[in-house]
Amino acid sequence: MARLLVIDDEANIRLLYAQELGDEGHEVVTAATVAEALQRLDELSFDLVILDIKLKSESGLDLLQQIVRERHNLPVILCSAFSCYKDDFSAWLADGYVVKSSNIEDLKVEIDKVLGKKSHRS
Amino acid sequence: MDWNCCWTKEQIEPGECPNIREGEDALRSLLARRIVEKCFYCDRFREDLRLVAQGEQPLMRLVPFLIEGLRDQKSQIAAMAGSLDSRNQEISFLHELAEVLQTTMNLDEVLSVAMTAITAGKGFGMNRAFLLLTDKCQHNLGIGPRNLQEAWQTWEEIAHHNYSLTEMASQFFTTKLRTEKAKFHDILTRLGALLFEEGHILHRVLRDHRPLMVDERTRAGEGDNGLSELLDVDSYLIMPLICRNRAVGVIVADNYVTHKTITRQDMESLETFGYTVAFAIERASLYDQLQEKIERLVDANEQLLEQQEQIVRMEKLALVGEITSSIAHSIRNPLMTIGGFARSLLRKKADDDPLREHLQSLVTAAQQLDDVLNEVLTSSDSLYPTRDQWDVNLLVYRVNDDLSERLAQRGIAIRLDLNQNLPMAYIDFRQITFCVKTIIINLLDSLPDGSEVTVSTRLISEGILLEASATPVPLGHTVSGLGLMVCRNLLEKQEIPFVTTTNDQEISFRITVPIERRE
Repeated sequence: MARLLVIDDEANIRLLYAQELGDEGHEVVTAATVAEALQRLDELSFDLVILDIKLKSESGLDLLQQIVRERHNLPVILCSAFSCYKDDFSAWLADGYVVKSSNIEDLKVEIDKVLGKKSHRS
Repeated sequence: MDWNCCWTKEQIEPGECPNIREGEDALRSLLARRIVEKCFYCDRFREDLRLVAQGEQPLMRLVPFLIEGLRDQKSQIAAMAGSLDSRNQEISFLHELAEVLQTTMNLDEVLSVAMTAITAGKGFGMNRAFLLLTDKCQHNLGIGPRNLQEAWQTWEEIAHHNYSLTEMASQFFTTKLRTEKAKFHDILTRLGALLFEEGHILHRVLRDHRPLMVDERTRAGEGDNGLSELLDVDSYLIMPLICRNRAVGVIVADNYVTHKTITRQDMESLETFGYTVAFAIERASLYDQLQEKIERLVDANEQLLEQQEQIVRMEKLALVGEITSSIAHSIRNPLMTIGGFARSLLRKKADDDPLREHLQSLVTAAQQLDDVLNEVLTSSDSLYPTRDQWDVNLLVYRVNDDLSERLAQRGIAIRLDLNQNLPMAYIDFRQITFCVKTIIINLLDSLPDGSEVTVSTRLISEGILLEASATPVPLGHTVSGLGLMVCRNLLEKQEIPFVTTTNDQEISFRITVPIERRE
């Protein structure tokens, strides 16, 4: 399966992703801040990044731009509590956008879709 | 001595004095008046004076001189009285004119009064006049007959009705202004252009602020740039209209029909009149400008008020946006944790595990909170819909896809009956999608497993009808709930009709979305 980098400032969410996506057979690495995320990206290679938009005082959209600029083959799914960023041009750089809900099935479907496209491309 | 004249008699007989005319019989018995008014001018009396002067008394020689002097002075007084009378009439006319001009602020009406005054017999009695303005050439005006026949016709009409200046001006303004403008269109166009031609006689008058009387002598001297040929007259008058040391235009006047000589006195009279007219023109122009500025200010004020209202609305929206954004972040993250872990645990529990029921309750409650949150957030979004041209069928396909998993779980099928030749609808795609989805979910929640929901689209005169219906009516179904309430509110705000029909056979929800753009 795939190696995923989950970037979210909420510890509970990171734990949930790690458990649920781990159960799906993925290897999940987590990061709470932008600096931590960049460090993980330098250390390992990933198949997909799941990125929150509001990271305390930091912006997930800024990190998205950096990832696209420096690792343009690495797909990113934005997973946010806000639906309004769907209309933000900078969010269009992401390969997918999922609004957080009590059911993470939507996210799982989106991950499969993006990874499917990636494998199809490669 | 036998006297030739009757001056020695206190009383004379009728016919005795050839100078006493009918109606002057009283003079026959009033000697003093008769001598002054009649005898002084009588040849017989002069003969008697000569006889007196031939007498021996030296003082008697002075009498003829004294009487001659008296006669001269009387003539001068009569001439002065005539001149005074004429001036009185002129002042009276100017007074009437000023009064008329003061009553109007309309430029065309002012010009009508001015031109009527120049050409009316009661006024300055010129045959024809042209008024050219420096700023508003579209108001240039000509007045007068084109030939003798037309002149007589006009003069007879005026004499017949005995119109006052006000009546004549009013009649001209209401019935003749346009035709006179059209009649003199060509000549007015040429005069209007010459007014701004450097060195032209019209331009000189405008520049020097001095009136000019042009006759054969002037033309033989300086020349008149061919203006007499253009006007087809030998003499004419050019009068500048000066107000506050600024030339607002000129009047060109002539006696095109009668060829009556224009005198210096005519020019002087018109000069006084020119100041009055110039002032009235300037005042009317300023009034026009004032009106325009007031209209602009009123418009600006209205725009300002609208913008103020918009700012207040935007501030409210921003506040709502901030609140909803905060709600989204504060609730969705913990909700995801609760629902996510509950589902995760539920999946891992054995079917007979007593905790399953509790976990299922958590999952359902989290799902309900999710739905409520979505409805609240959508409701706040509805305050500011963003409409555009959208394909309604695409919207239905999108909803069908979104609900496919839930439909499959329930074994409920959606039958799509979509008109493929629909025009684009003018809607907020996200909001209408939410409404259609909410309506179908509302139906699903009360339908037994294995039922069917039909969604159709068709074109009607009011727009595109989007209908979701289910047969038979689900037992215990209620057309209520927060979701439908939000839908109704949201559609009402956009003036989109939303009709619910429930009977024994069927339940249906109809939304009629507009095709045309509307604000």
